[in-house]
Amino acid sequence: MMTRFNQLPTLKIDPTKKVIFNYKGKTYSGVEGDTIASALYANGVRIYARSLKYHRPRGLYSLDGECSNTMMEVDGIPNVRTENTLLKQGMTVKEQNVKGSAEKDMLGFLDKLDWAMPAGFYYKMMHKPARIWPIAMKQIRKTAGLGEISPDFEMPGKFDEIFPRTDVVVIGGGPAGMTAALAAAEKGLRVIIMESRPWLGGFFDYRTAEYKDGVALYQRGQDLAQQVEANENIRVLKHTAMVGAYSNCLVTGFQTGTDKDAFNERYVEIRANSVIVATGCIERPLIFDNNERPGVMQVGCALRMARNYGILPGENGIFSVGHDLGLEAAIDLFDMGMKIGCVADVREDGQDPELVLALAKRNILLLKGWVATEAHGKKQVNKVSMSSIDGMITRDFDCDVLVASAGLTPVTGPLTMAQIKLRHDDFTGFFVADEMPENTFSAGRILGINNALSIECSGTLAGIKAAKACGACDAAEVEAAEAAMKALPGPVRGSKLVTAPVKGRKSFICFDEDTTIKSVKQTIDSGFDVPELVKRYSSAGLGPGQSGIPGHNLPLYVAKYQALAGVPVKPTTVRAPIVPTFIATYAGTNHTMHKRTPIHNLQVADKGILRKIGVWERVRYFSEDYSCKKEIENVRNNVGMLDGSTLGKFRLHGPDALKALQRIYVSDMSKLKPGRVKYSAMCNDDGCVIDDGVVVMLGENDYYITTSTGRAGQTVEWFRYHTRYDGWDFSMVNITDSMGVINLSGPNARKVFEKITDEDVSNEAFPYSGFKEMLFKDVIPAKVMRLGFVGELSYEFHVASSYMTSLWQLLKEAGAEFGIQNFGVEAQNVLRMEKCHIILGQESEQRTNLLDVGLGFLWDRKKADAKTVGAVALRQAENDPSRFKLVGFKMENNGRAPRDGALVVDSKVRGYIATARDSFSLNEAVGMALVESELAKVGTRLEIYEDECGDERIYGKVVPMPFYDPDGTRMKS
Amino acid sequence: MALTITCPICGKRNGYEFRYGGEDKGPRPEEAGLTPEAWCDYVHMNKCVAGVQKEWWFHKDGCGSWFTIHRDTTTNLEVKGPEADK
Ligand SMILES: [Zn+2]
Repeated sequence: MMTRFNQLPTLKIDPTKKVIFNYKGKTYSGVEGDTIASALYANGVRIYARSLKYHRPRGLYSLDGECSNTMMEVDGIPNVRTENTLLKQGMTVKEQNVKGSAEKDMLGFLDKLDWAMPAGFYYKMMHKPARIWPIAMKQIRKTAGLGEISPDFEMPGKFDEIFPRTDVVVIGGGPAGMTAALAAAEKGLRVIIMESRPWLGGFFDYRTAEYKDGVALYQRGQDLAQQVEANENIRVLKHTAMVGAYSNCLVTGFQTGTDKDAFNERYVEIRANSVIVATGCIERPLIFDNNERPGVMQVGCALRMARNYGILPGENGIFSVGHDLGLEAAIDLFDMGMKIGCVADVREDGQDPELVLALAKRNILLLKGWVATEAHGKKQVNKVSMSSIDGMITRDFDCDVLVASAGLTPVTGPLTMAQIKLRHDDFTGFFVADEMPENTFSAGRILGINNALSIECSGTLAGIKAAKACGACDAAEVEAAEAAMKALPGPVRGSKLVTAPVKGRKSFICFDEDTTIKSVKQTIDSGFDVPELVKRYSSAGLGPGQSGIPGHNLPLYVAKYQALAGVPVKPTTVRAPIVPTFIATYAGTNHTMHKRTPIHNLQVADKGILRKIGVWERVRYFSEDYSCKKEIENVRNNVGMLDGSTLGKFRLHGPDALKALQRIYVSDMSKLKPGRVKYSAMCNDDGCVIDDGVVVMLGENDYYITTSTGRAGQTVEWFRYHTRYDGWDFSMVNITDSMGVINLSGPNARKVFEKITDEDVSNEAFPYSGFKEMLFKDVIPAKVMRLGFVGELSYEFHVASSYMTSLWQLLKEAGAEFGIQNFGVEAQNVLRMEKCHIILGQESEQRTNLLDVGLGFLWDRKKADAKTVGAVALRQAENDPSRFKLVGFKMENNGRAPRDGALVVDSKVRGYIATARDSFSLNEAVGMALVESELAKVGTRLEIYEDECGDERIYGKVVPMPFYDPDGTRMKS
Repeated sequence: MALTITCPICGKRNGYEFRYGGEDKGPRPEEAGLTPEAWCDYVHMNKCVAGVQKEWWFHKDGCGSWFTIHRDTTTNLEVKGPEADK
């Protein structure tokens, strides 16, 4: 392990605190504050991975996760960006995309086969003859993709999501972002500032150059950070990468948690009144031969390794840069002990004279107008060839680290995501926005400025503009801030160089996808001439780095290569998430939330087996026998009770309530009579049946309605939608959760009922379809309906949820002498199926209309004035012979029941099984199926195909419905 | 979803709270003399304008009202009412 600086004031590590981790099966140690990448580097690791296509060795490059070079598998999670992930005690780290090891990769030979894999390789090759494609595909699949994950891998960690609302959101916690946040906060506005690194400071954070009056930039950065953190109006989200920016000032990101947070990662969606983009710059990669060999790294990477992590990245450095930051870094790294063979600057002139002087003082050779052309060394750089930009003079230098960067380029992702048009500015060499969307402002280096005071001033200006947009200050203040900005140095001239003078066979424009200059040329020569097409065909920028490396070089190169054709310089579109994010983070906390009925605990105490059904948790069985034989037989021969509380329940009242009923239900609801229950159905505008239930008239303009469990949530919306133009005076209240339902069914049901009431509940006094409002034990008010869903004598008790426990126990005690038993949802399902009472959604699907399922008798055609939903479509469907019909069937030769959803076939699919069970009541397998009308005639043989049945078929025969108690005497007496 | 919607009862709220209810096509046509084609057009045909349209929204996670707003379909932003109608 190399020695690390442990006294620098710019350090982000605590060298006294060791962190032990496992890399490739061996134990290593890093220190607190290390990223995985910095800890590995400190332990001498230089090759972090192999590249996607050619398996070239790759190492540290940007230190900000801009490419896949340093992605590794961490604790079983593939593609973790190790430059952005803090090291934790006990982590297990593995390399990816290697056969063998990154050091000795058995697929390394692929690099020599690049001639066989030109741009568009996959589109062009191995299609002729067609039969070789499946074989070739198998081999390609084996080597394709980065990282591996097992299908049953379970994502560890805790995830969360927050949706904060704020006045101003600032993207970027550098000097511009911080001054912007402070300026807006000073005006009394609420501000959120998000920064992708784990600390604030940005461009000032790792620099020792003077800010002013003897204060160093990093000190100024720390000072600003303290002010921001101390400001009560500012919420600081550190280690929070922006992943999306949208119109209407919506910004999304994800935050990595610290040990003190309750989450590992969380999704952040910020709604603001104003957005400030202060994302600064990244470095534009310098393109030359082997420009991604381990040991080649960008200026910020080299300097931050030393300043933030205390690691001198090499002993002998060579610099090939295009910006003053490169000169400043060379000086600082020299002072920290790096020998520097030379600093090549692609700019012929325009360097800061003080920096030139400082280099000269240290006897560092400065070559103006020079550039690196080739990095040598098989796995790590050991020598570099330099040349004048025109390629005339060349010279080699030995080195173990090559610091290379063509210049700076703005981080425009947030701007392009918000659909802002960018223009290439010839002076700065930047892509700039001439027009910003409403209430969106940019600040800092993204504007092309580089002077520290200008950067801060631009932040203040943006903060004040945002305050003005929020109505917190006036135009005069904006003018004053603009004037202050004008007095400071403006944008600086940028480097225009795109590539060194090389042929480009091994000069990489995109690291993730192994796209070289040569392959881009091939792409353009094949006719794909604009950046968007070049990107797709050559795959430059399609990798996990989300165009971090090729983003701006690609359009510049494409334009340059076709200068004569006048191709405009336009960057490719950036899309969310612009930083790779876990799907788990988007999923958030992932609670499994379900509603429980008022007597949930009683049901569980009675050994109910729960299942999640829609939004509810319900008892499906009361024993391990999932055929529910005992539950079914008890209802058929004795008496059972069921918790039906999940039914949708509504009160509808008001002078126009009946009009609403007439609009929604297919039946004539004016025929409702007090004391009677009316069963009816609702259709959609296509006549497809969406729900059924009962309606009871409680009084004048006052109705009680039930719907199926699944439709309860949408029913109020449905009523109001279809009456939205009418201005009718009615109110509808969803009382599903405030009311519970107990269903008491079986031949002994009346005997049990009689025990809890003195009222006459005989068949004459309380007949089938009757309704009574009753009071039990003088305190429990109940709505009681006489129904027969399961095909037996049956009562439904609707009571307030708070009375459910009492009524349940009352009925249970009353039923004890008859041996009353619980029954669950599955038993009910079989019971009602035997009676051919349908459940919508089970005996119907999206396209099934009222007539298909045999409910046409509910439809009243003489109420055109009501404009009943679905009536027009039903009239059209009435004579359509192509529709499915619901039929009953039984299995041939006493065969077993087919599975629900099995297909009815002959030479093609002719229908499907809705519900089928082996019936204990009937001693044979029966069911209902939706089939083409030709097959609907009684006696028709149905050929049934089940999944994975091969050539085996089972057969059923269409029979009349219902199967059980066809006359309904049991239900009605 | 970047869209915000102004509910007449609850004010400007996050678009997630609402359900889209389609273009404003006017009241249901009278059934008398209605051809199948005219009915299908009413139910299924949309203008799909690129620009400002009047449309229905339901405040499902709020007050439960149906109401109309004007929205520019090219920017997916709500725009002010009457002048947008012109
Ligand atoms: Zn509302």
